[in-house]
Amino acid sequence: MNTVDASEHYELGATDLSPSLLTIVIDTNPHAWDILEDSLPLSKAIANILVFINAHLACNYANEIAVVASHTQKAAWLYPSQTPPASTDQDGDVSMSTETTPQPNKYRPFRIVEDQVTRNLKELMDSTTATHLHGNTSTMLAGALTLALSHINRRTIAWAEEHGGANPDDTTAEGTAPSNRYSASNEDEKLQSRILIVSVSGSSDSAHQYIPVMNSIFACQRLHIPIDVCKLSGDAVFLQQASDATKGIYMSLTEPRGLLQYLMMAFLPDQRSRRHLVLPTRVDVDFRAACFCHRRVVDVGFVCSICLSIFCEPPPENECLTCGTHLDVGDHNAKPALLPRRKKKKKKANGASGSGTPMSVSTPGS
Amino acid sequence: MPRAVRGLLIECDPSIKSMILKYDEERHDYIVEDLDDENHLVIKESQLENLKYRLDRDLDEKIMQLDESESE
Amino acid sequence: MHTPDRRESGVALRGRIGPRTRVISVAAEDLRVFQLTMASATSRPLEYLEGLPGTTFYKLYQQPSTALAIFRRMLPDLAKCFVMALLYQKDPLPTADLEIWVSSDSKKERDNAISILGRLHVLSTTLTGENVRAYMLTNPFAASLRQALMGAEDSQSFGLFSQAPEHLRISVADLDEYARRQWEGVMGYMVGTSAFSGQRDTVNLSKGVKQLLQAGHLVEIRGNRVDITKDGFGFVLQDVNTQVWHILILYVESAEAIGMDSVEVLSFLFLLSSLELGQSYDKTHLTPNQTRTLADLTDFGIVYQNDADSTRFYPTRLATTLTSDSSALSNPVTGSLTGPVGQTSGSGSGFIIIETNYRLYAYTSSPLQISLISLFTNLKYRFPNLVTGKITRQSVRRAIEMGITADQIISYLLSHAHPQLRKHSAAQPSNKGVPASILPPTVTDQIRLWQLERDRLRATAGFLFKDFTSLAEYQGPCQYAAEIGVLVWKSDRKRMFFVTRHEQVAMYLRNQKAGGK
Repeated sequence: MNTVDASEHYELGATDLSPSLLTIVIDTNPHAWDILEDSLPLSKAIANILVFINAHLACNYANEIAVVASHTQKAAWLYPSQTPPASTDQDGDVSMSTETTPQPNKYRPFRIVEDQVTRNLKELMDSTTATHLHGNTSTMLAGALTLALSHINRRTIAWAEEHGGANPDDTTAEGTAPSNRYSASNEDEKLQSRILIVSVSGSSDSAHQYIPVMNSIFACQRLHIPIDVCKLSGDAVFLQQASDATKGIYMSLTEPRGLLQYLMMAFLPDQRSRRHLVLPTRVDVDFRAACFCHRRVVDVGFVCSICLSIFCEPPPENECLTCGTHLDVGDHNAKPALLPRRKKKKKKANGASGSGTPMSVSTPGS
Repeated sequence: MPRAVRGLLIECDPSIKSMILKYDEERHDYIVEDLDDENHLVIKESQLENLKYRLDRDLDEKIMQLDESESE
Repeated sequence: MHTPDRRESGVALRGRIGPRTRVISVAAEDLRVFQLTMASATSRPLEYLEGLPGTTFYKLYQQPSTALAIFRRMLPDLAKCFVMALLYQKDPLPTADLEIWVSSDSKKERDNAISILGRLHVLSTTLTGENVRAYMLTNPFAASLRQALMGAEDSQSFGLFSQAPEHLRISVADLDEYARRQWEGVMGYMVGTSAFSGQRDTVNLSKGVKQLLQAGHLVEIRGNRVDITKDGFGFVLQDVNTQVWHILILYVESAEAIGMDSVEVLSFLFLLSSLELGQSYDKTHLTPNQTRTLADLTDFGIVYQNDADSTRFYPTRLATTLTSDSSALSNPVTGSLTGPVGQTSGSGSGFIIIETNYRLYAYTSSPLQISLISLFTNLKYRFPNLVTGKITRQSVRRAIEMGITADQIISYLLSHAHPQLRKHSAAQPSNKGVPASILPPTVTDQIRLWQLERDRLRATAGFLFKDFTSLAEYQGPCQYAAEIGVLVWKSDRKRMFFVTRHEQVAMYLRNQKAGGK
């Protein structure tokens, strides 16, 4: 009786695919945009990004968007506004009267996002004074990432609750809290979140934020949130690592004028579609780190054997700045030791197994 | 010379097939071609509804049903 | 060959261990089937649209709202990616480039996406200057979609807000309630809930609604009696979004019959789907046909207007979620649509609990829901807010004889599963990425098995080729049939094969004969 059976019609439970939440972090560093003025002024870039946002919202009725500006002195929300300007209460009584000139030729959700983003961006720019910019050429990437992550977290929980998914309280009670809620099961049934960073600032500017940025990256990695990076100018070390670690897309645009086409082609597909696509990934990721003592980007440095903090030179008094362990730096004369390559080969050739790798040699106690 | 014959390819279990074969023995009005493996045969298109009906009726009689009483 | 490998291995497995192991063989397939299910969710409106002639599409795509709605609702994910990638590209994209873009494991999805795009007249192929085949978006569609994304000059594609001062504002909750009442009224009319509770105030359905249901073969009206048809049974168990589309397509078809322009009606429907809930829109600039459509849709609860002469109308959630997936609708509206009456639309809309012993508990007092459940359940007790019963072989067989399929029963149960069931399944560890099922697997499997008892053979209409004199003579056409995808069954030993269409194979044989001589 098994020749004709029902297994072919077997359907899985959920009938609808969950929507995706795209959080865009726009680097609004005026110094960097100034350099780009000739090829792609900020206003034009924003216009392109807005079309991209509309395209994202068009893909699914329930798709969500959030936009954060990473400015020189602070990170700020562009959409959704945390403090709505006029009172738009539940009935919409007030908002109706304020909207005196409705433009019906645009899909409403698109217009709401556009209005808010442009208005908030203008406010942000107006509030930026010369003193803010003076001597400050970096961008608050870490802050922006953190805002994005907290928003994603809130929306994920809210969405799961609305859709009768796992109750977050229950999962936390089990002890294996967030990984359960975000990753383990039901990949298709949770809100699909991803972050897109539109970056213009160079890496040296943001080296002082190395630790918080890396922490955000690791949080994304753990929550399976890809960080896509669209680099318009410069080439940031940490952002390469960010997209590499979170399986996001990294693209450094050679022709910033074509921003929209890049956005539409490479950055629009969500996680589900990406499974079917060959994505532009970077093979030569710059894995360099910044030292903890001077925030310099280092190729080779010192690492505390206890807490793995990185230093560009032996810390003062040979005491780790992070954990305070006294380190026996030895007679390296501030020149980091490297195992000669030849030696390694020889060991392999000898067939000596075990303690051959440089890693295990340097581990304390071995 | 190859020929093409119109019909319905029936895919079913051996047990069902043997029932169809039995029906056919009566008047030879079902089967166009017995395809001679365990679970395929070709029948006349017009006979499908009739066949289904007979199968349902006979199966209802033959298959043992679990007790469906509501009391537990 | 017709029989897929998977099933053969499944048969072997079950043959050894017994029929109960079916769940195992099935589970591995879930992920793949999952995607197929996705596609089927959009199928009904898609099928209808595909049947339209190209010129109709040309007219439809003039409206940005239509282009947006079709883009959003009818296309699979991958197709959306293709459209967006091509939308702002100046030159056509060579087919080879697109093939490289899609990973080699997803050929099937790619072909599916491209074929849907072609059938909806969104994508066409051209030759570039270097004589390379390339894809490009067709024009009214691409221009309209760009207009939708960037804002257009002065089309009224997304509706005009009503400017007239309002005396009485209608809140979103009112609209939801109105939509629920009307829609439930339509359903109730079909199922005949009045038999269940006579005292319930029945919604006055207009003659047009009844005619439409009859024309769509969802009910049969004999004198004063209203009998639901097999199609009707299938219909009432679907989710609301699918139902609304079903009705709307019937409406468009019937509009054509009475001389209304189907393009006009369709684009108006797509326009409705892009309006905002809770806003009122101006009626005065609508064409007479659109005003008429509006009045008809009011009966279904898809739009609301104070009275027929009012200058404004409100889209309800049934309209504004037309181009969304059904889940977007399921919470706020279906929650109130299907849930216990008076329950505020809170989290989760389900109210049915099923236990592994086939017992069913439904926390509802809605006569409609109770009569729907009674279609496939032996109800036993009824309490003020709860009915209990048991799903039995008998009750399922009865439902199947009425024309309801096992899948419809299961999907109904699934979409109304109590939050408690969902919570339970979410807490279960997943099995290799396959989430634990919400309904007890024994119950869903058994429902399918009960259906199978009646469905013991698979019939494929076609043609049997036989009487080949030599193996060589047999092999050629057989292989050819396999290549063009019409081969269903073959036996090398008997030199016979079965195809769904014979024309091309016959032509092949003739050509071969001519060539041979």
